[in-house]
Amino acid sequence: MTTIDQPLADTAYPFLPVEPSEAARRYAAICADRPMTKMTMPIGGDAWIIHRNSTARAMLGDPRFVREPFRTGERTVPYFMEFPEFLKSTIQFEDPPHHTKLRRLVQKSISPKRVRGMRDSAVKFANELIDEMVAKGSPSNLVEDYSIALPIQMLANLLGVPPEDRPKFESWSASTLSVANMAPEQIAANMGELVQYMTALIEERRREPREDLLSDLANARDKDDTLTDAEIIPIALILIIGGFDNTANFIGQGVLSLFNNQDQLAVLLEDVDTVAPTAVEEILRHAAWEIGNPVAGMGALVPFVATEDVDLEGQLVAKGEAIMIDPNGANHDAIAMAEPATFDVRRADNPHLTLSFGLHHCLGAPLARMELQVAITELFRRLPGLRQDGPVVINYDNLTQPITSLPVAW
Amino acid sequence: MSKVFYLQPDGVEKVIEGTDGESVMTTAVKNGVRGIVGQCGGALSCATCHVFLAEDELDNFSAPSEDEDDMLDCAATDREPNSRLSCQLLLREGSDIHVTIPSSQL
Ligand code: FES
Repeated sequence: MTTIDQPLADTAYPFLPVEPSEAARRYAAICADRPMTKMTMPIGGDAWIIHRNSTARAMLGDPRFVREPFRTGERTVPYFMEFPEFLKSTIQFEDPPHHTKLRRLVQKSISPKRVRGMRDSAVKFANELIDEMVAKGSPSNLVEDYSIALPIQMLANLLGVPPEDRPKFESWSASTLSVANMAPEQIAANMGELVQYMTALIEERRREPREDLLSDLANARDKDDTLTDAEIIPIALILIIGGFDNTANFIGQGVLSLFNNQDQLAVLLEDVDTVAPTAVEEILRHAAWEIGNPVAGMGALVPFVATEDVDLEGQLVAKGEAIMIDPNGANHDAIAMAEPATFDVRRADNPHLTLSFGLHHCLGAPLARMELQVAITELFRRLPGLRQDGPVVINYDNLTQPITSLPVAW
Repeated sequence: MSKVFYLQPDGVEKVIEGTDGESVMTTAVKNGVRGIVGQCGGALSCATCHVFLAEDELDNFSAPSEDEDDMLDCAATDREPNSRLSCQLLLREGSDIHVTIPSSQL
């Protein structure tokens, strides 16, 4: 007979927001119970939601799951909300072989090697921002003064936006930020100007290439194929939208989750340089659960469709069925990791899927990781006494629920 | 059954008995070997599974494809003549594999 110390966790899915510790208990129980659940999505009908980490990896690594029916409009994307049209034209919705071509060309330009080369300038820029904060004196709103500024600068750098155009580029890009909370028409107008600007810049780089991503893409040749502007623009946009909003959010959430876990902050401060890489992985996995909000059992990355019947760890997914992963589940699966509810900045084995995995893993993953590592390292190296100095403001109206204000003092 | 010997840059070695037909990358990821990320799951589009293959085992595998060769140039740790992407190295009955993990993949 098994002894039961605690009442059994509820394995119903989806579930409404509950305390993070309770959410962790439920996810662990759900993952132990089954690899996935079929649910009716608010939009687009039924779909499988994968909970288990190993099942998620098996699906993401299996070419029999594709996105084409969503791109062609043959099917509505089953999801929690309507998928914006322009997102469907991006690389996320391409399948091999076209995806492979795009992916490789971009990947080379944003590769671990290229990103390593950008690290020094990220460190320099982070320190300039910290200098400005120090000069102004505490308190400071970390979101405005640090976590948004750093990724936008890195992105401008990577794409090759000349310094004199940075302010324009920043304001266009920032309009897509969830913290900006702009009206859809305003965002569309800003995006229009951004696209125009990028088109002109691509033309310039085609004539006079430099050491940057736009030059690489503008002049990329894959065997005898070149990329058209219509292919390059969405790539640049997905990097801007996907890249910098998320990175800014992770910096804010990361710092706040450290404030909320003083023992872990102390571990980081003991040896910032060594601990920062694992701390960043832990922030990617779990920081959203440590900012004081309840957690709902719901949410997913972009779905796929099965092109044939596939057995995934004992569950038959029938041809034509839609399937997606809930990263919250995969990141809190007690089969795949020890004590998923604990925020552990030294966690050595951290198979989180926040940046996804497989063919469609986050294109900007090396850049995002580098920026987060630099952001956390420099901030706490320079200001080891950094502390929260006032209430945080979170924008609950936005899907990504970004932190819009995080007052800090040092 | 064959064994993969993973040598960390700090000299610590981990030996895993793997399944034939699986890659050195998958075997590492499944068994929690540090330093092999394999973010793209073997699709040759991340270069985070870079390893240095033992010199005397280089000939046990066919030479890197053009795509692997391209991606090796993207790795965070500079490539050496014995560099391989471990998602392309498949385990085979009866032949052990020795790889050294580079200091950084990201
Ligand atoms: S796992 Fe991505 S290139 Fe090998």
